[in-house]
Formats: sequence, C-alpha cells, structure tokens
Amino acid sequence: MTAMRQALLDVAELSVAFPGRNGPIRAVDGVSFRLEPGESLVIAGESGSGKSMLCRALMNIQPGAASVTATRMDWQGRALGALSPRDWRALRGGQMAMIFQDPAAALNPLLSVGRQIMDVVNAHRACSRAQARSRAIEVLGLAGLPEPEARLASYPSQLSGGMRQRVAIALALAAAPKLIIADEATTNLDVSIQAQIVALLKRLQRELGLGLIFVTHDLDLAAEVGGRLMVMYAGQPVETGPVQTVLKDPCHPYTRGLLRSAPTLHSSRETPLQPIPGQTPKPGAVGAGAPFRSRCPVSVEGVCDVRRAPWSEAGPGHRVACNRFALDGRGGLP
Amino acid sequence: MSKPMIEACGIDKTFTLRRDGRLVEHRALKTVSADLHEGEILGIVGESGSGKTTLSRIMIGIDTASKGEILFHGDRVATRREWRDLRRHVQYVFQDPFTALCPTMRIGKALAEPLAIHGIGSREERPARVARMLEMVGLHPDMAGRLPSQLSGGQRQRVNLARALMSEPKVLICDEIVSGLDVSVQAQVLALLLDLQKRLGLSLIFISHDLRVIRYLCDRVLVMYLGEIVEQGRTDEVFAAPKHDYTRRLLAAIPDRDRPAHHSPIDEALK
Repeated sequence: MTAMRQALLDVAELSVAFPGRNGPIRAVDGVSFRLEPGESLVIAGESGSGKSMLCRALMNIQPGAASVTATRMDWQGRALGALSPRDWRALRGGQMAMIFQDPAAALNPLLSVGRQIMDVVNAHRACSRAQARSRAIEVLGLAGLPEPEARLASYPSQLSGGMRQRVAIALALAAAPKLIIADEATTNLDVSIQAQIVALLKRLQRELGLGLIFVTHDLDLAAEVGGRLMVMYAGQPVETGPVQTVLKDPCHPYTRGLLRSAPTLHSSRETPLQPIPGQTPKPGAVGAGAPFRSRCPVSVEGVCDVRRAPWSEAGPGHRVACNRFALDGRGGLP
Repeated sequence: MSKPMIEACGIDKTFTLRRDGRLVEHRALKTVSADLHEGEILGIVGESGSGKTTLSRIMIGIDTASKGEILFHGDRVATRREWRDLRRHVQYVFQDPFTALCPTMRIGKALAEPLAIHGIGSREERPARVARMLEMVGLHPDMAGRLPSQLSGGQRQRVNLARALMSEPKVLICDEIVSGLDVSVQAQVLALLLDLQKRLGLSLIFISHDLRVIRYLCDRVLVMYLGEIVEQGRTDEVFAAPKHDYTRRLLAAIPDRDRPAHHSPIDEALK
C-alpha cells in the first residue's frame, strides 16, 4: 500500500434532506468517499438518484430549504462545516469548480467570454488587467478553444454548444482549482464533441493533477472516464469500486439491471434488452428499507422493506449495499 | 424486396436565416433520397444539424421541400387532400414528451382527437377505442382522466405513442423519442415499440443520435452528415464495416464499456 496522501475531499455519511410533510425527505442519503489529487470519481445514476444534489452540497450551493449533514466533510484536512461564507466564496470557484450540464445557462449572455473569465480570475487573485487577460487566453487554450485570443470578445450566443462547454471549462479552470466537478457536462453534446470534452478533462486531470468528480447517467461513458465508480439509486449509494471492476462484475441488482437495459454497440434484437420494471420511487417514498426493493427481482422479504443493506465486500475496493448479496453472495443475484 | 411504403426523391431544403443582420441561405438537405419498405425499421442517425429531423418533417408535410417530391405507395403526394390522406397513415411521434401534449387537455381527449380529425368511428365508440389503446401501450385505462402534468416522462411518451397509433397508421416516424428518458425506462419504451411494430405490422422510421439504440432496433440505417446521406445499408453491416470516414468517426466516439482501454478514442485523442 502506498502511504495515504492527504485527500482533497474526505466525506463520510453525507446526507441532504428537505423538510417534508411526514418528516425530512432525503435527496442524498449516506454518501461516503475519499478523493485524492489526480483521482477521478464517477457518480452514476438515473434521474432522482441524488447525484446532482450531492454535487451541489459539496459546493455548498444546495437550495436554501436543504439541510446538509455529514459525520465528516473535509477539504484538504479542513472541516467544511466550519467555513464562513467568505471562506466558501474563496474555495468555490477558486479551489473547487463546477461544470454544469447546460453551458448556455451557466454563461452570462450579456458579457463577453473574456470578461466572464477575467471576472473569475480577479475574484480569486490579485492581479492586473493584463495578467487577468493573459490568464483568460491561457485557460481558453487549455480548454481547446481555437484562436483563444480572438474568442475573448465573443458572446456565448455566437458560439456552438461544444464551444460554449469549452468556455465553461475554461471558466472552471480560470482560478487554477484542485477539483473539478462535472455534472452531466457532456450530456447535451453530440457524441464526437462528448468524446473530445471527456478527453480534454482527462488530459487536464493528468497534466494539472486535478481531482475530478464526473457525474453521468451513462455507464459506458463512466468506463471511458475511468477511476472509481459510485452507483446511486434514489439518493443512496448502492455499489462502489474501480469502474472496470464494477462494470465487469456488478454485484447490486440495480447495477445489473441498468447494464442489461442499456444497449451497447454490440447489442441486437436477438438478445433483447431487459428493462427494469416500474419506475424510480418518488422522493421520500423510500423510507427505512432498501431503496431498490420495489423493482428488485431478488428482494428479501421481511428484510429489504425494513432495513437498509449493510455494505459488503465484493472484492478489493469493491463494495455493495444489498441485503441479498449479504445473505447469499453472488449466487443470490439475478 | 417489398415495394416502398414511402419515398423521398431528391429532396432539397434551403432555409433563409438572418446572420449578423444579413440574410443567408442555409442548405439543410442536399438532394437526399430515401425510402421505407413495408414492415421494416429504418434508422436515421446523425449529429445535430445533419438534417435528419428536417427530412422526416418533409416526409409527412410539416415542412415543405424546396425541391424534390414525396411518394406514398408509389404516388406523388401534392394536393392538400393527398397530404391529409398520407397523415392518417403516416404518424409522427415527437422528441419532447413534455411539449408534445397540450397541458390542459386530458389524456382521453388528446387520444380521441385524431379519430375526430380523420372521421374514424362514431362518437360513442371513441372512449372504448381510447381505453383499448391505453392498454396496448401498457397504461391503465383510468389514465384517460389524467392531465399530462400528472404523468412521468415514460408515461407521457407512451401516451404520445398511443395518440400516434389512434388513426391506425401503417408508418410511424419516431424522432428521438427515447432520448429524454432514463436508461431503464428507455428499455421499456423500446420493448413496447418492437412489440407494437410486430403486432400492428408497422413500418418505422426511427431517428436518433444514439448509435447504440439504432444498432439495437433498426434493420437498416441511414447515416446523415451536413444535409447528406453519407452511408446506408443493413445495420449489422454498417456497424461491422463502416465505409464512410464520418461513420467510422461517429462509431469511434461512442462510449463503450467493452472496448479495451487502449482502444478508446479518448485515449487516442490523448496521445
């Protein structure tokens, strides 16, 4: 084992709850992970899995009604819970930056690209106008925008979707952060642009030693990003491990179901996709039991409806939260 | 091979756009020809701006072609009456299940509307037809009393399919109908679509940017790029041995969990 470096983010039992009529509704429930510099964590799940809310809680930009709790939430060894709003402003955008799904909504349509990036640079470091400008050109270049200097004067409406997402990446890089959170950042892009953007993020991660949290609903894309994978369902993490391991040997009925329902480049009608019956439970409907029990073909009667599954070891670094797995191992899985 | 149900012959489409205060002509389709045979599932794949939606809209007369013509069962479709007749037999399912349904119209009324428009059946038998159709797409007949806002995305897309099928069409054009759905729900809708196609003997045009869905669903595929069909053929052949450079690039960009890590286009790009 290599000696443990200091983690960028060290989170234990993070939950995000909203007030509801019958007690709090947990949008995120019991998420734990550690992310070191240069590592990537892919968070995969469908709508309602809580993956976006988790990202927002990490950046402290959750909706006002939400309450965030955790037994540990440290940024480079420092407890995030103790930060003042002023400290948060320095951290957010400065040390950790986020790329959103819709670059058109993330950029201000009334300000030129250069102005927006220079604003971020100026907010996080004391520098002259000329220095901010050259930094803006530098990060636009890093983000793979051709002719970055000429682009400074462009407005978001003059750029294509892929170009806008590159500007959003440049914006995230502007203050030289240590962590980038990409929340479905390639979902609205054409596949060829998506491949370019993912390649860009991986290159930046490698060259600048960035931590990367990559949120997606696409498990094939998760495989391309690499690193660790956390599969979430209805707010709860259900399986975590190295991406390739989890995809080759999925041990949660939900992960298995998701993989069987997603077509790949090799699937054809001779081997029909197997949809997961039913739909994601409404927020707050999960209660005390296992979140996937209403759609699960192997749920354990008398167990899954009353208690959450404990974490079981499925292999090195590979853990799964499933009552059936805890009872019967892989043999009990569908 | 069976004779084509519907054919697009030499379709050209030019849009006039205003760019920086000047009018510019944009040629969205460049002399495109395509046909759909009875009982087949034809995929049209391409990235945004490739013209796949424009072509399909012209095929049912929502847009008009600048040049070229549409043939239905071998006959040219020209007059209003001929278009109206075509639209009874060729139906369109739109991408966004949220905007495709009128928010204040109950599902039952939305489904009965095509019957009224095409004068199918008597007023009295319409509720029964609606109930049958709801069951066919896997929804409870009670859904007829609901409003679109009370349904999930997957349920709405089932309602859209049901509405398109009310006039008992022979051809269904599905424009990105599973793109907005979660993977597990997407698989449900794809299974439904295959089941309906078999049971009703439909011919399908399935438009998608997702090559994985196209590969799974379609017998034949057209690959479009910047207003042109750059490649077409049987789906398995095109995917096994793509001939056009653009198709190869498109296939290489699809994320694939089974691809050996060093073959990833993303790692290629990193070198």
